[in-house]
Amino acid sequence: MRATRRRICFVALLVCANFTAMAQDSGDTLLRAMRDELSRSRGLKVLSLEAPYFIEYTVEDGESYAVSASLGGLVSVRHDRFRLPEIKVRVGDYKFDNTDYVGSGYHFGTHYDIERFPLESSYEVMRRFLWLATDSAYKSAVEAISRKRAALKNVAVNQPLDDFAKAQPSKKILEIRRIPLNEDAWSGRIRALSAIFNAYPAVKASAVELSEVETAHYYLNSEGSEVRVPDNLIYVLARAEAQAPDGMVLHDAAVFQSLDFDRMPAEPEIRRGVTALAASLTARAAAPKGEDYSGPVLFEGTAGAQLFAEVLGRNLAPTRRPAMDPGRNGSVQTSELEGRQGARILPEWFDVVDDPTQKEWQGHPLLGSYEVDREGVAPQPLSLVEKGVLKTFLLTRQPVPGFAGSNGRARLPGSYGANGAAIGNLFVRATQTAPFADLKKKLIEMCGQRNKPYGVIVRRMDFPSSASLDEVRRLLSNSGQSAGHAISAPALVYKVYPDGREELVRGLRFRGLNARSLKDILVAGDDSNVFEFLNNQAPFALIGGASYVAGTSVIAPSVLVDDVELHPLEEELPKLPIVPPPELRAEASQP
Amino acid sequence: MASPALGVLFVCFTAAASAQTSVLLDAMGEELNRNFSTLKSKADPAPYFLSYEVTEEDVHTVSATLGSISSNGHGKSRRLDVCIRVGSPKLDNYHRVRGERTQFTSGAPLTFEDQPASIKHRIWLETDRAYRLAAERLIKIRTNAEVKVAEADASSDFSREEPVVRLETVVHGHFAEEQWTARVRKLSAKFGDYPGILTSSVAATYQEETKYFVNSEGSRLRHGRGFARVVVSAQAKAMDGTDLATGETFEATDPEGLPRDQAIAAAVERVAQDLKALLVAPEAEPFAGPAIFSGRAAAVFFHEIFGHRVEGHRQKDEEEGQTFTKSVGGKVLPDFLSVVFDPTRKKVAGIELNGSYSYDDEGLAARPVTVVDNGVLKAFLMSRSPIAGFDHSNGHGRRQPGLEVVSRQSNLLVESSHAVPEARLREMLVEEIKRQNKPYGLYFRDVTGGFTNTGRQGLQAFKVIPIIVYKVYPDGRPDELIRGADIVGTPLASFAKILATSDRPQVFNGYCGAESGSVPVSAVSPALLVSEIEIEKKNKSQDRPPLLPLPVEGR
Repeated sequence: MRATRRRICFVALLVCANFTAMAQDSGDTLLRAMRDELSRSRGLKVLSLEAPYFIEYTVEDGESYAVSASLGGLVSVRHDRFRLPEIKVRVGDYKFDNTDYVGSGYHFGTHYDIERFPLESSYEVMRRFLWLATDSAYKSAVEAISRKRAALKNVAVNQPLDDFAKAQPSKKILEIRRIPLNEDAWSGRIRALSAIFNAYPAVKASAVELSEVETAHYYLNSEGSEVRVPDNLIYVLARAEAQAPDGMVLHDAAVFQSLDFDRMPAEPEIRRGVTALAASLTARAAAPKGEDYSGPVLFEGTAGAQLFAEVLGRNLAPTRRPAMDPGRNGSVQTSELEGRQGARILPEWFDVVDDPTQKEWQGHPLLGSYEVDREGVAPQPLSLVEKGVLKTFLLTRQPVPGFAGSNGRARLPGSYGANGAAIGNLFVRATQTAPFADLKKKLIEMCGQRNKPYGVIVRRMDFPSSASLDEVRRLLSNSGQSAGHAISAPALVYKVYPDGREELVRGLRFRGLNARSLKDILVAGDDSNVFEFLNNQAPFALIGGASYVAGTSVIAPSVLVDDVELHPLEEELPKLPIVPPPELRAEASQP
Repeated sequence: MASPALGVLFVCFTAAASAQTSVLLDAMGEELNRNFSTLKSKADPAPYFLSYEVTEEDVHTVSATLGSISSNGHGKSRRLDVCIRVGSPKLDNYHRVRGERTQFTSGAPLTFEDQPASIKHRIWLETDRAYRLAAERLIKIRTNAEVKVAEADASSDFSREEPVVRLETVVHGHFAEEQWTARVRKLSAKFGDYPGILTSSVAATYQEETKYFVNSEGSRLRHGRGFARVVVSAQAKAMDGTDLATGETFEATDPEGLPRDQAIAAAVERVAQDLKALLVAPEAEPFAGPAIFSGRAAAVFFHEIFGHRVEGHRQKDEEEGQTFTKSVGGKVLPDFLSVVFDPTRKKVAGIELNGSYSYDDEGLAARPVTVVDNGVLKAFLMSRSPIAGFDHSNGHGRRQPGLEVVSRQSNLLVESSHAVPEARLREMLVEEIKRQNKPYGLYFRDVTGGFTNTGRQGLQAFKVIPIIVYKVYPDGRPDELIRGADIVGTPLASFAKILATSDRPQVFNGYCGAESGSVPVSAVSPALLVSEIEIEKKNKSQDRPPLLPLPVEGR
């Protein structure tokens, strides 16, 4: 153990060395190298080839620290200093360029070993790397536009859309304050948190991990945008798996996160959360299997906000079908709300606003705040739904039918040379509410009116999903929602009997729950719940499903929704292990 | 004088303290007994063999480009490989069925701390996972065995071997991180003097590998070694688009065994000079004629075209070309050549061998294997998967953590009884050029490595990728560097054309990739004179060099 400690101290020392090196670099050599090479790259063109009309340089300059542990033993410790560039070059013009085509975004030609930039601030070396990266991106762009032209030669395009919308250049150079990562303390904490599961033998597998990422985000483009903003994130993730006596595998996770290292939930709070995860999974594994149900469902507390995050949040981002090669039939998952602007999508007593400019809500720091998006565009508060009517969508600089011009929502990497739009801080407000304490009563009342032996309360959804990749595949293929988006499974489902008694059940999936279901909201509570998660491009925002994440907050009330269908999981269940688990002793966790 | 002595004392002390006990091995042994006995009594089909191998790696890396550090890191990890066999040694879940390769192990990450609860729990989960796959697979194989025609090789699926118990003292090397950071920074800066070089790097790595092994036959092992390495590499692009790369590596078991700065700086200089010369060298034309392979080039040649074809499991696999399967006792090489695979050899000509180990990944002791004796094929490289005529392993079952063991190469040593001094070998080349009436011959000085296809589908051929190739003229003109040549050929034809060798063995250290992943290997050979070799033009990139010139230096 001593050796491990010493090693971690040593790594921490190195961090300090890096830190001072960067602090002295007050002239910001990286910014200067980016600016100078970007300016020189405008001259990129060869006779008979197209000139670039837009170039953007993004560099994530930072360091990360990750620790994982299981049952009181560290499994991995990783400290990483990185400078990750992303260079995009557009040739052609705003109307027609190398993007929005199935072959866009691919790399053609020689592959230079330049995915990671040098870590030290040598102006010449950084210029050289930017030079090669730009050359490579430019050649790929020229190749893509010529393929796109060939592909479109014999195709009639119904509604020609521009390929890129103009945007006001932004200038935002913020100070980067490096905070030394507290590695020693965190590795001990994570080890101790992982040992909580030693007291829960029904939990078959578990792990606790920490990720701490501190980045200076640089964004420069040829239109004059110059951005340097801090982009930090810390989270603790606990995951666990259990197997019910009939073999059903159950997953769950708990995440604690913050954009600000100093405002991370305190250790006792995280401890309570991990303990609650272990206890609730143990309870679920022992709970009876749920049955088919169709009727009113109360999405209580966090589950209400999760419902809006998943069902509404994802559908507020329209997608554009890329130009295809003739005869190629690619399917693009479109928003369920596409073409419904001006139509009612929620009861008329609902308003929805996305506001990344709010940093706090009722003293709680919000995870979905950001200065500028991935395209350097600063977001403004955006009124998406007014009195139940859909007013607009989340937009990036990629024009979509009916809309051209970004509203600063390019938060995730997208496909075919574009970015993906996503929510930041989504506020769902009901102007007509019932007291929270009455919601369960209302549910029981409704069940009585409809002669149902019980009603259903969902207290938590498995969103972002903690499922295995296999399970995600099954959810996607068996969702029974051919065209629409599959919805993640509910994690905590309770039957509520007329006498108010509750019974936890397991193994249920939603059937047919989609954006249209939002119109069936009957009652909203007077409560407001903050639900925060790390959004990514994976289905169900699968935890660990994609490396690029965007912090997201949803503030919403509990909601009672009519006509929700739940269906028990019908698949072959794995047998229980033949060998019983090894004995876990709680004292074994003390290093 | 005082401090090194102290260091030695310290090492001895800790080694002595840890030699007798290992928390990890104890936990592995206990969990092995518990799982094996329960499965044996309760599971159907029951396992007849179970083994656990844990590979512990402690890795340090630092690399630099043009005087600037580009990455550094340190990581420690342990990975668990489970081998569970159900059925019987005659027919078990590992039985190879045409076109199918099943993987049972996963190389699951294990805590690197000596926490028995955490270790045992993960072992239990992985055993359960592997057992399920194994049981399912055996049922499929049994069905298949009933319907398919009899296989040519009816040997068993698993050999009987004696258990081995040995806890070696694991010696820890020291990677002086700060010094190496300063060294690679300084060494990599020298590439800045060569404007034609687009990317370049100097990297130093040290990986300490300790393996822990237990099996249900009673084996219990701890052994390991260090891998220290310096890699110098550079890339450029010729005006016609050809991508060019040169490099040099140094290997040692301990970072202290790596060369001093002066020697690495000389390598940087050679790598840069070679690349600079290649940028302006004429392109190779398709050619067939006599050639000399330097010892290092010949070593790769043997590794690719010979070594991969004597890996035991290929002789049994119905999808393999089985070049030598029926040749045991027959002549496969000129009678002045012998080939020995010897993982117990640590050094040749002062250079430490990368393919050395004391036990293989099935827990069997390493031993020298004479595969070819004076031209005659005697044996194959064997894991515990028997083949017709070879019932036992010879300690060549190897893998990268997370993959299944197959027979792999170790240190390949080519020995010659027709050896002449290098100068004489060159004279013989000139004589051969004249005899064949060719305008020139070839000298292959350096190769990066190569690949070979041993399967039945596709051409049974090999390709070795030379970097530094010279035309040698018979009239005494200076040798001329050419670029963009690939050696092509078919294995059997190539062996017959070896005329003589030099008397000076050279070492090629590297990593070999195959079914069971990347494993460290060496190949050692004297230079070879061949009467005919064929080269073809390399498939080259259509890209132009960068369009804008190198950014302005200075400021």
